[in-house]
Amino acid sequence: MATPVTMPKLGQSVETCIITRWFKSTGDKVSTGDILFSYETDKAAFDMESPADGILLDIFFNEGDEVPVLANVAVIGEKGEETGSFRPGSSRPEDSPRTGTQTRTGIQADADIQPGAGIQANTGIQAGTVSQTAADTRLRISPRARRLALEKGLDYSRLRGSGPNSRIMVSDIEKLLLTGTGDIIPDHTEDKEYTDEAVSNVRKLIAKAMYNSLQNSAQLTHHMSADARKLLAERKRNKEAIASGSTTVELTLNDMVCWCVVQALKKFPEMNSHFLGETIRKFKRIHLGMAVDTKRGLMVPSVRNAESLKLTDLAQKLKSVAEACRKGNINPELILSTSASFTVSNLGSYGVEMFTPVLNLPQVAILGVCSIINRPADLGNNIFGFIPYIGLSLTYDHRAVDGGPATLFLKEIRKQIENFNPGQEIY
Amino acid sequence: MPKIHNIIPAEVRKPQFIEFGKIPVNQYSRTIEEEKQNYSSADFVRIYRDMVIIREFETMLNLIKTTNEYRGISYNHPGPAHLSIGQEASAVGMAYHLDTDDFIFGSHRSHGEIIAKGLSAIHKLDEETSYSLMKNYFGGNALKVVEKGFQGEIRDLAVHFLLYGALAEIFARENGFNKGLGGSMHAFFTPFGIYPNNAIVGGSGDISVGAALYKKINRKPGIVVCNIGDASSACGPVWEGICFATMDQYRTLWEGEYQGGLPLIFNFMNNLYGMGGQTMGETMGFGILARLGAGVNPEMMHAERVDGYNPLAVIDAFRRKIQILREKKGPVLLDTLTYRISGHSPSDASSYRTKEEIDLWQKEDSIITYGSLLVSSGITTQDVLDEIREDTSALMTHILELAVDDDISPRLDLDRDPDLIGRMMFSGESRDRMEEGKPETLIPLDENPRVKSIRNKERYYLDKDGKPVSKAKLFQLRDAIFEAIIDRFYKDPSLVAWGEENRDWGGAFAVYRGLTEALPYHRLFNSPISEGAIVGTAIGYGMCGGRVIAEIMYCDFLGRSGDEVFNQLPKWQAMSGNILKMPVVIRVSVGSKYGAQHSQDWSSLTAHIPGLKVIFPATPYDARGLMNSALQGTDPVVFFESQGIYDIGEMFHRPGVPEEYYEIPIGEPDIKRTGSDISILTIGATLYTAIKAADILSEKFGLSAEIIDARTLVPFNYTPVIESLKKTGKIVLASDASSRGSFLKDMAQTITELAFDYLDAPPVVVGSRNWITPAFEMEEYFFPQPGWIIDAIHQKIMPLEGHNPQYDFSDEKTIALNRDGI
Repeated sequence: MATPVTMPKLGQSVETCIITRWFKSTGDKVSTGDILFSYETDKAAFDMESPADGILLDIFFNEGDEVPVLANVAVIGEKGEETGSFRPGSSRPEDSPRTGTQTRTGIQADADIQPGAGIQANTGIQAGTVSQTAADTRLRISPRARRLALEKGLDYSRLRGSGPNSRIMVSDIEKLLLTGTGDIIPDHTEDKEYTDEAVSNVRKLIAKAMYNSLQNSAQLTHHMSADARKLLAERKRNKEAIASGSTTVELTLNDMVCWCVVQALKKFPEMNSHFLGETIRKFKRIHLGMAVDTKRGLMVPSVRNAESLKLTDLAQKLKSVAEACRKGNINPELILSTSASFTVSNLGSYGVEMFTPVLNLPQVAILGVCSIINRPADLGNNIFGFIPYIGLSLTYDHRAVDGGPATLFLKEIRKQIENFNPGQEIY
Repeated sequence: MPKIHNIIPAEVRKPQFIEFGKIPVNQYSRTIEEEKQNYSSADFVRIYRDMVIIREFETMLNLIKTTNEYRGISYNHPGPAHLSIGQEASAVGMAYHLDTDDFIFGSHRSHGEIIAKGLSAIHKLDEETSYSLMKNYFGGNALKVVEKGFQGEIRDLAVHFLLYGALAEIFARENGFNKGLGGSMHAFFTPFGIYPNNAIVGGSGDISVGAALYKKINRKPGIVVCNIGDASSACGPVWEGICFATMDQYRTLWEGEYQGGLPLIFNFMNNLYGMGGQTMGETMGFGILARLGAGVNPEMMHAERVDGYNPLAVIDAFRRKIQILREKKGPVLLDTLTYRISGHSPSDASSYRTKEEIDLWQKEDSIITYGSLLVSSGITTQDVLDEIREDTSALMTHILELAVDDDISPRLDLDRDPDLIGRMMFSGESRDRMEEGKPETLIPLDENPRVKSIRNKERYYLDKDGKPVSKAKLFQLRDAIFEAIIDRFYKDPSLVAWGEENRDWGGAFAVYRGLTEALPYHRLFNSPISEGAIVGTAIGYGMCGGRVIAEIMYCDFLGRSGDEVFNQLPKWQAMSGNILKMPVVIRVSVGSKYGAQHSQDWSSLTAHIPGLKVIFPATPYDARGLMNSALQGTDPVVFFESQGIYDIGEMFHRPGVPEEYYEIPIGEPDIKRTGSDISILTIGATLYTAIKAADILSEKFGLSAEIIDARTLVPFNYTPVIESLKKTGKIVLASDASSRGSFLKDMAQTITELAFDYLDAPPVVVGSRNWITPAFEMEEYFFPQPGWIIDAIHQKIMPLEGHNPQYDFSDEKTIALNRDGI
């Protein structure tokens, strides 16, 4: 019995997803866990793993197609098995999908979920859309479509048309008017000195959030350093414990800093809050966001209820959400900016000595964690030596918090680091 | 192929010899004393004066062309002036007996003939008629110019009028006989019986036959003289005209007063040269041109060579030949021997002839020798002749002054009215009949066997139960054309029809079946297989005032009537300054099944030529309505019919083709099926291909096509097409014409201009391949098929989901085919 590959429903608000890339083609042998295709919502991007072993018998949606959640995207089974019954929609003429070499990004405005919108010719005579070469991306638009677009003030410059040679026809403009979206074509011209790549939805989301943050808040950053000897000692101890087999949980410096931040937040609830304009929402619990770099861009998953977690639990949770982000299967609810009450962004491992993290609005503060640097210090007794200091950069929203409390909060984090004591018998 | 003439083998197979009689050559031998019986002194002197006027007129033109000056008047005339200096005696002799009822046609070298004919007419007209005729011509504008300050007799005023009208015409002035639109090579003045001269060598060779037919069929007085050059005897239209004019049937089959030969003289003004080619000794083989008459008919066309350097000899010949025509024994061939002292044109260096030859002829100059004869025989004195020459020079100076003065003789004001000439291309009148009187028919219309048979036919293609009517019971497209034509035959006594197999056979495609029973021979007859003359004679018939339908059996044969269709038929209404009408319908049947030379749709060729109305109906309703309009009008119409659909019934107009008379305006396309997604504009029978394509679009792709039948190529109202495009934004144009240069391309271009902002895709033309038409079994690879229209839409307009095109409409293919010329 063949197994359908179904587009998952990723959160309440998600109704459709867009397939961004197919890694397998019809007829390929696939194993459970193989990445079949990538897809994205309006907020995040994901990979779809194969749910079964077998042959990829049929593909119902192409790259660029918008797929309703819970719709069958493909079928895996044994050779010769019937797949038609899995095909979404009615019995319209069948077409093979485009091959994976044709890259499409953006949103296909066609609310009609029928797959195979392209044309396939097997007589050697190709319609314009098929014979179009990659370099031939000159904008083509019918006079009628242009007239309508100008009337409506629409930018059609990156719309891919449905006519021959991707000519934009009036129906494409009408679709754009109706749905607000269209089939967007990246503009790449080979003989240019640069390439113009379409902005992914995740990138757009980040861009919007960052820009919005700097436009709509009064943020500033304080820098401070903390003696990191206790953290490093704990790190060394943890490595030894792992080597000796007495633990399996790896503790990173980031895990420890995050734990220290949670402890400090418990004492400064005004820093564990959202500024909502008319109100400031102070959270009773601590939902710690952590900036994670992924190939799709920056993502900030949150670890909910971090105040109750032991250091090792916190470390494991942080590791798990970061991994989910990188894999693309993070629960979208966890990456909303409203999901976290405070965020940590760690660039220390890259050698960054100081930076000004951008607030993840509506959160009122974010802590940037920087590199550890050995600094000369008075060790007492007129003895001077080098002590490793970890840099801390706290950005806060001056609308919500004043400089005094913010500094006190930063000092509390330093204190937690310098007196690092997880209060728990770990090893 | 009349059944009353049995061709008996025993007769035609028996041995015999053809005996040729004698053809007189320069046999005129009367003395001046003998001629005094026939002419008064004034007549003799008038002949001299007429020759002098012609000589001075052309001398003046020659000086203007070569020196830009005549007797102190400077003028630059950039246009043509083909002079006939030396030929005056021939012209005056030809015209001497002719009056305004006699029509002359001419060539590019006919100034002398029109002046001679005009002077002869003026002499014969009473002054009152002459004056009113001048006064009524174009509002008397030319008369006003010559009348100003004139003192003398009306006859002399008329001479001024004649010379001024001709010269103003040559100089392209609005006061010219043809508003300056004819010019030197086409100047004519019909009130004096001067019909078009023709710049195409031999162009009058068949047109004049049509004029003679007009006179004969409509029992008009007068004869027709076709003045053409010796070299034109090698032109197809001249030979075709001669054959057409000498058919046996005029004597063997035409009945009653219509029986007998045509009142026509082919007068070859034989100046011995065609441009520089010597017809005697170089480019022709007849030696003496009159020999040509020998083989044409038993009468040898009453052929004769006459000495055209002696006006009295020519006058004598014409007197005798006119008598032959009166006896209905025409036509006649005259070889009027003359010589052109002037070059072919002022740029002619006479490199093809010797000075000695020219000198010899100048010594025999007809004006000098005839003048000497008059003096020596005591008819007049040298003083009188000298005075004539001086008066003529003064007159010519006066006329030239008037004709070159831009205030007195302005040109058509195209700045004020840029469309002035455009409006003159068509006369656009609506006339039930071109002649008054009762049309001659053999039986009442309702007793006609075909009319009776049609009465029982179904005039819609489905019966009451919605089932297709059988062919035998169906009112077909050929019936629709027949109805329009027979109806007109019973309305317009001037209407005649000719072509190949028109009588008895009823036309190769049975359109005329039933006409033979209805019409006497002189209204419906079989022509020789002379497509040029079939059209050329129709032109002559039409320009004289009759209505005519000429038939070209296959469109492919239009090439055989190329000059007539392209140079003559479309031009004469405007070139005459709208003096002439051209109520001529040329039926052209577009073939199929018969291969490369019998299957071409050349409607585009005719549409390209300004001055023709071009109709191509595809349904019985349209065919009848448009034929009615064509036959109601006064303009030349090329009426295309498609052999593939002669038997089709009416599928669009409900409840069927009306029984009563109706007209469909020429130039209005018709929406045969409404739709919203794409427009398909067709010409001719391709309508039915488009209908099939529309069905496929609807059934397989859910697209609704609007089908527009052009019905007419020229004129054409684009508004309904643009309205359709506003709706659909997309259009395919289809016809059976080969796609390169097809009129559809012109339409596509015009549509692109007019509806650019409404276009959602380029207009796409689907025509036949640019090949020879292959055999019937392979025609599906040549003529547009429903699938081609789908393919064109898929590849050029909008990709159709799941469609696999068979025909390659890609840009690459289009470029490659054009590069290869196929």
